[in-house]
Amino acid sequence: MSNIDTSPNALANVNLRQVGRNKPRNDAPTKVYGRAVYAGDFHMEGMLFAKVLHSDRASANIRGVDTAAAKALPGVHSVLTADDLPASNAVMTDMPGQVGGGTKNTKQPILAKDRVRFHGEPIALVAAETYELAQKALELIVVDFEDTKGVYDAFEAQEPDAPNVFGDDNIVAAYKIRKGDVDKGFAEADYVLENTFSSQYQEQAFLEPEAAVAWVDEHDILNIRSSTQVVEHFRAVADALGLPHNRVHLVAPYVGGGFGGKEVMTIEVWLALLAMDSQRPVKLVQTRENSFISHGPRHPFTFTHKTGVTKDGKITAMKITATSDAGAYAKLSPYILLYATVGATGPYRVDNLWVDSTSAATNNLPTCAYRGFGTMQANTACEAQMEELAKLIGMDSLELRRKNFIKTGDPNTTGQIIRSSVWSDQCATKALAALGDRPENTDTLVHGHGLACYQQSYGRIRWMKDTSECWVGLEVDGTVIVRCSVTDIGAGQMSALAQITGEILGVPMSEIAVYFGDGHVNPLGGTSTASRALYMTGKATEMAATKVRDNLLTCMAEHFGVLPSELDLADGEVFVLDDPDRSMSVNDMAKYCAARGIHRHALEIYRAPPSEGLDPETGQGEVFPDFTYGAHAASVAVDTDTGEVTVIKSIGAHDVGQAINLRAVEGQIEGSALMGQGFALSEELLLEQGVLKNGSFSEYILPTSMDVPDIQSIVLESRSGLGPFGSKGIGEPVFAPVAASIVNAIADAIGTRIHDLPLTPEKVLAAIHAKNASEN
Amino acid sequence: MLPAFELSQPKTLPEALKVLAAGRGLPLAGGTVLFPDLRGGKEKGREFIDLSGIDELRYITHEAKRITVGARTTIAEILRDPAMAGAAPALHKAVDNFAGTMVRNAATVGGNLCCGSPSADTVPALLTLDAEVELTRASGSRTVPLDGYYLDYKKTVKKPDELLTSVFWAPAEPGSAHLFFKLARRKGDAVTVTGVSVMIAKTDGKCSTARIALSSVAPTVFRAHSAEEMLKGQKLTPDLIERAAQAATDQSSPIDDNRSSANYRRLTTQALVCRLLSQAWHQAS
Repeated sequence: MSNIDTSPNALANVNLRQVGRNKPRNDAPTKVYGRAVYAGDFHMEGMLFAKVLHSDRASANIRGVDTAAAKALPGVHSVLTADDLPASNAVMTDMPGQVGGGTKNTKQPILAKDRVRFHGEPIALVAAETYELAQKALELIVVDFEDTKGVYDAFEAQEPDAPNVFGDDNIVAAYKIRKGDVDKGFAEADYVLENTFSSQYQEQAFLEPEAAVAWVDEHDILNIRSSTQVVEHFRAVADALGLPHNRVHLVAPYVGGGFGGKEVMTIEVWLALLAMDSQRPVKLVQTRENSFISHGPRHPFTFTHKTGVTKDGKITAMKITATSDAGAYAKLSPYILLYATVGATGPYRVDNLWVDSTSAATNNLPTCAYRGFGTMQANTACEAQMEELAKLIGMDSLELRRKNFIKTGDPNTTGQIIRSSVWSDQCATKALAALGDRPENTDTLVHGHGLACYQQSYGRIRWMKDTSECWVGLEVDGTVIVRCSVTDIGAGQMSALAQITGEILGVPMSEIAVYFGDGHVNPLGGTSTASRALYMTGKATEMAATKVRDNLLTCMAEHFGVLPSELDLADGEVFVLDDPDRSMSVNDMAKYCAARGIHRHALEIYRAPPSEGLDPETGQGEVFPDFTYGAHAASVAVDTDTGEVTVIKSIGAHDVGQAINLRAVEGQIEGSALMGQGFALSEELLLEQGVLKNGSFSEYILPTSMDVPDIQSIVLESRSGLGPFGSKGIGEPVFAPVAASIVNAIADAIGTRIHDLPLTPEKVLAAIHAKNASEN
Repeated sequence: MLPAFELSQPKTLPEALKVLAAGRGLPLAGGTVLFPDLRGGKEKGREFIDLSGIDELRYITHEAKRITVGARTTIAEILRDPAMAGAAPALHKAVDNFAGTMVRNAATVGGNLCCGSPSADTVPALLTLDAEVELTRASGSRTVPLDGYYLDYKKTVKKPDELLTSVFWAPAEPGSAHLFFKLARRKGDAVTVTGVSVMIAKTDGKCSTARIALSSVAPTVFRAHSAEEMLKGQKLTPDLIERAAQAATDQSSPIDDNRSSANYRRLTTQALVCRLLSQAWHQAS
């Protein structure tokens, strides 16, 4: 269920007919009826099947790789090791599609040559007539390993005598924020509280594992049809193989979930190499077990918080350190650390602030993008600290939050002035109220309520100079075509563009075809990452559709003898606002305008607000285009005999700016409720000396449909965002507070706090026993 | 990746027993354990006997003194049996908590009993019903009490040429209480961390029969006989229950694995045996 609250101050005179409504998504029928063709469903004549030899150890030298027996196996067409690759043997893993300059050490070997640095690192590629043959060939490859001492802890990795993983010193990235005077701030505090919080690896666990087919076509174009969030990877593939960019054509069909795990390139370059070597189409769908080691999971983080607060609840200073485990390659770790640094204070204004953050290389799995992108981990720690502060000074925790919420016009951690609406208070109040009364405790069941707020950016880092392009055109029969390379990763990215265009051109969604996920025949829309797809591609679509509308209405104004502003488009008709009987169907209008040579299509580019980066000494500058605010509240029941936690209610209340498709917004909130629950309670990759021990859905504990609580979505609309119709990004934001709210609810239920996630029954039971022991 | 294997598909029980006697493979029922093990390389067998065509092993009969379930009956079929909640409440709860819908539709009670897993969810419930299993070979069949069927981790008394064909037990005594608790890391599709089944019958205000079975805390599912003995003929006081739970826990020998530590399993065994005994004592009449 959901309800909508629109600000009385919202944009005046906006009469929305399609936007914000519960429209069935236009990708729904093909998915429901099983007609949608995903990357792994694709088949070609003469296609070969690939397998990848992943390292089964985390730190070793490679003394040799013997592929002779594998190559000799009949039906095997291609066996590649690092020796067969272009000399550079490297693929860029920096922020895809950016033009604003990269970070250090973001080149990763395509195949390990002399050394493996993590469990899962690819060593050899095979293409054969069948998967079974390819598997057999893999088993015939002999790798001569010499185990070497690795380092498996982000703090140990920074010691002077730690084994070197890569770079000079295992420091992948470091940031600092120096703002105001923390010493003065702590001197002014009535209380000072210090805590350390840590969180774990989390696996994206998309339904569809990595999957792609690659082939070289009759024009010598290398084509890749892949499950990716980023069609702009055609550039990285081309660069890795020494090909011109225009010779690599990357297409993303419908994607069965990304969550950041398909942001950095996964299997595309492997298939490209095999297709070029074998001159046959080559397909690979990763097994679930290999998927666990084929993309980067969420970074484990450790935060220390030292907070000064007055007895009235005003925060006077914060001193925070953040440390993340980057694993064996940098990937996007520097950016994720930056998000955690900027997000260290959650949605609160802190004028005296000191933050030091470090990401260290280890021989653990390389970690990378995952919904929330460092901000979520930072926010989870910050919201735990807020709850403990409230307890310390004896104040209601929402009241404490209210005294410190950042407001429109305030500077954030990096001194960026917040321009859009900040409805943290309204969201928190509604979410908490929706929890209702707390059930009575029993002998073995205790209940708790928890709240968490957040500030999460949407849109990419501003010095990447992000752009998005879209083309909208009206056909002579009155139907509409939208062309934008946006990847549809399951959140309704493509459908939203149809809804926006339909609103502006006054045609139903059924009359609109969206061509998406192909960056060579469509204008480049940019990535489906960073909660930017709706914001950026929606904005470009809004601009292009508006341009077409302006052209059409200028022509029709002449026809009706009125001003363009006196016309409107709705329900498949153009009509005079004051005299709706004077109208023409969109179909006739298209023909009328076509006959007069009117431009019925437009290509527009939206440019996100740029900036030039941060001052390295103070960490001050403008990092993000804008932020989304909201809250999540949860109620839990804890079994005091077993430590089992049952989430009863899970309520997301968010200012989404403007919902484009309300059902899609609810889908995001509901999905995030489960994903956050998994992070809070059960999900955790277990590594032993870098080797993954629970890479299966039997032992990696995701919540199931049986674990779904009563989820409610409360959608608020300030219409203050930078996206189309004042919308804000929501994909990551709605997830940011979920785990923190559940963690806080458990602390409320059991009367003590556990500082390291996830809160397994075992940890909860130990905390209950420790509390009982200390009280007796 | 699933390796290639030979599959025979008998249509009748005698045909299946003949193939089994010839040493031509392992029985394959629902495949919910076998296929993951094959894919994961844990099971190396290359010849299997598919039992899915043998409808004569797929039945549930309720008689006055005996309830019998054919080995090829699926967990979902037991769950849907309208008389099961009354005839075997703990078993009904166990099959309701068993994995998830898809697995319940495929998995069979015979498979669950034969896989020998210490976390098999039907076993503790069937142990507290004092169930027996029928083992059949080409030359005839024998019955064996389930208590005693398991020898060690994934080892049973069943001979390679025998097929487990049914499980049967006497209906629950009127007034007796039958409880089952599955402690797991999530509510759906979960492997049991600690499983407890308890049966208590009362006569003249005293415990006339007590059965306690535990899963996932030893190499096999087992009956906690010493704890049961402590309760027989007694009024169950909180102190006695506590001591019996301790005795049951002492009989366990849990291990650390990716789901929990041995210590947590001991703590929860103690707590859950207490809880279930106390509930059963109050429920029994």
